[in-house]
Amino acid sequence: MPSMVGPPPDVPPKEPPYTAILPAKPFHSRLHSPSSRKTIYDRNLNRTQTTPTSLPSFAYLFNTLITYHHSKSGSVSEIETRLNRAGYPIGIKLLDLLLYRQARAAVRPTRIIDLLQFVHTTLWRALFGRAADALEQGVSNKNEYMIFDNEPVVNTYLSVPKEMSQLNCAAFVAGILEGVCDAAGFGMEGVTAHWASASGGTGGAEGEGNKEEEMWPGKTIFLLRFGEVAMRREEAFKAGGG
Amino acid sequence: MSVYSFYIFDRHTECIYSKRFTAANNTQSSRGSTLQNGDVPASLRKASKDLDETKLIFGTIFSLRRMAKQLGGADDQFLSYRTGEYKLHYFETPTQLKFVMLTDPRVGNMRTVLHQIWATLFVEYVVKSPLAPAEHTGGKGVANELFEGGLERFMVSMGLLPR
Amino acid sequence: MASSKAARMGEEVWKTRTEKINLEVLTLTYGTLVSQLTHDLRDPATNIPDYAAINTELDRMGHSIGLRLIEDFLAKTSSAGPAPCNNFRETAEMIAKVGFKIFLNVTPRVENWDKEGRSFGLVFEEMPVSEFVELPDDGRAQEELWFLNLFCGVVKGALEMVQMQVKAEWVSDVLRGDDTTEMRVTLIRYIEDEMPPDDE
Repeated sequence: MPSMVGPPPDVPPKEPPYTAILPAKPFHSRLHSPSSRKTIYDRNLNRTQTTPTSLPSFAYLFNTLITYHHSKSGSVSEIETRLNRAGYPIGIKLLDLLLYRQARAAVRPTRIIDLLQFVHTTLWRALFGRAADALEQGVSNKNEYMIFDNEPVVNTYLSVPKEMSQLNCAAFVAGILEGVCDAAGFGMEGVTAHWASASGGTGGAEGEGNKEEEMWPGKTIFLLRFGEVAMRREEAFKAGGG
Repeated sequence: MSVYSFYIFDRHTECIYSKRFTAANNTQSSRGSTLQNGDVPASLRKASKDLDETKLIFGTIFSLRRMAKQLGGADDQFLSYRTGEYKLHYFETPTQLKFVMLTDPRVGNMRTVLHQIWATLFVEYVVKSPLAPAEHTGGKGVANELFEGGLERFMVSMGLLPR
Repeated sequence: MASSKAARMGEEVWKTRTEKINLEVLTLTYGTLVSQLTHDLRDPATNIPDYAAINTELDRMGHSIGLRLIEDFLAKTSSAGPAPCNNFRETAEMIAKVGFKIFLNVTPRVENWDKEGRSFGLVFEEMPVSEFVELPDDGRAQEELWFLNLFCGVVKGALEMVQMQVKAEWVSDVLRGDDTTEMRVTLIRYIEDEMPPDDE
């Protein structure tokens, strides 16, 4: 705009091109703490590692979480996405916590198979007190792996209505997995939870379903899709003779 | 042994579940259906025509319940009453859910049966279902598949319904 | 019911009739819920979490849990037929030694009764749900947020189902820098039986 000599007077001056960095101060918390020093810094991080609590209480809380997200969602897939997002930050934090608790040195897994072992065994034990039931590589896509849980604890008291039979609330656990894998630097395309049987978790095995399905109506597959970066790194490891 | 009908009322005096069983052709119908010709006593059949049956039943148990407390003390509950045509069984939870079952007059004490329907079917499948509302206004959320299926299997296993 | 009898009952139900899960799963899930609310409930003008609204929402969620949980509680504890509490003191013992025991594996102390016996404090030595928690250092959360507010709702909802209308609120929380964690429960009234609507 050549005719303009200067900025019109009512336009506020441009922000300076940089923001001044304040001189660094040592971290100073403004939080009050009780005189007994009952804060998170004064407790052993491993204190509740194996403490049990009531499964029904978890179920009520989990139900509340589902109801909350259900009320904000328009579709089954949106509920699942929201549950995944709810679990995700837990996974990010759990990776560090679980590595810290490892007997051996806290080295994060860098190979896909190490990570899968870690999830299948260490993570599952920490959350549910047992390892997952199986681990398989996807047939069609090289970047896909599957972890099987015959009876996800989180679905213990869930009855999903027929019109929503595809909904698998273990999407929350899938979100935790995704957080763990991302935090370990595997840049996941996504982790999702699916019913193993076509009839969904309702256990409505009508007719001659296969035996496996009848025994584990709630059997769930966690599908882990690794991102391109992770796959390329894996190739490089292999090429390097790793 | 046969069961004619089954009702659940909530603490707001609302009927949140009802089911009628007709033994003759072994079909069952939930809430809002009309009675079919089975061995449902004529008196009841007539009553259902003249009055809203659930209202009548609620009125009856409400009065009996009060009478039982007045005569037997605050903790007393009536268990059942019998006419020539049918027997009404009653169980109330501390949360004032009221379970009512109408059966053949020869049927024995059904209190444990009703307690079990509450503790193992209602609590597991209705109360714990996350997508059912906490209060069942208009019966919403009670008649879900798991509860209906569980109830039927339970009744069959107790010999109350034909296999 | 004597206090020791309630304690025995709580122990028994917790040990033999409660399925278990690792506490940390519960703790982290509760944290995720509260943190979701701090994202969703913000003052649109300032984009700061609306802690009062979060307290209310947690209370509402807890209330809905309480309405359900009490059925489960009674079904678990009353196989020999329901034994109603004779007075509010017994109710307090049941909440502390059976309710919190079987649902959280903690037993708060019942203290600070008022003179009329209508109001008591539940003092928590431990609060497992707060295990990994530090409130945000934003100058407001410690003044305004009751992180555990869901539990007030649970107590209110559960007691409402057994015909007691109560007020339940936190009066202190170590997360806020207080020396204790205490919930105050006050009986407002016993709820009368609802009458069926009159026929026309």
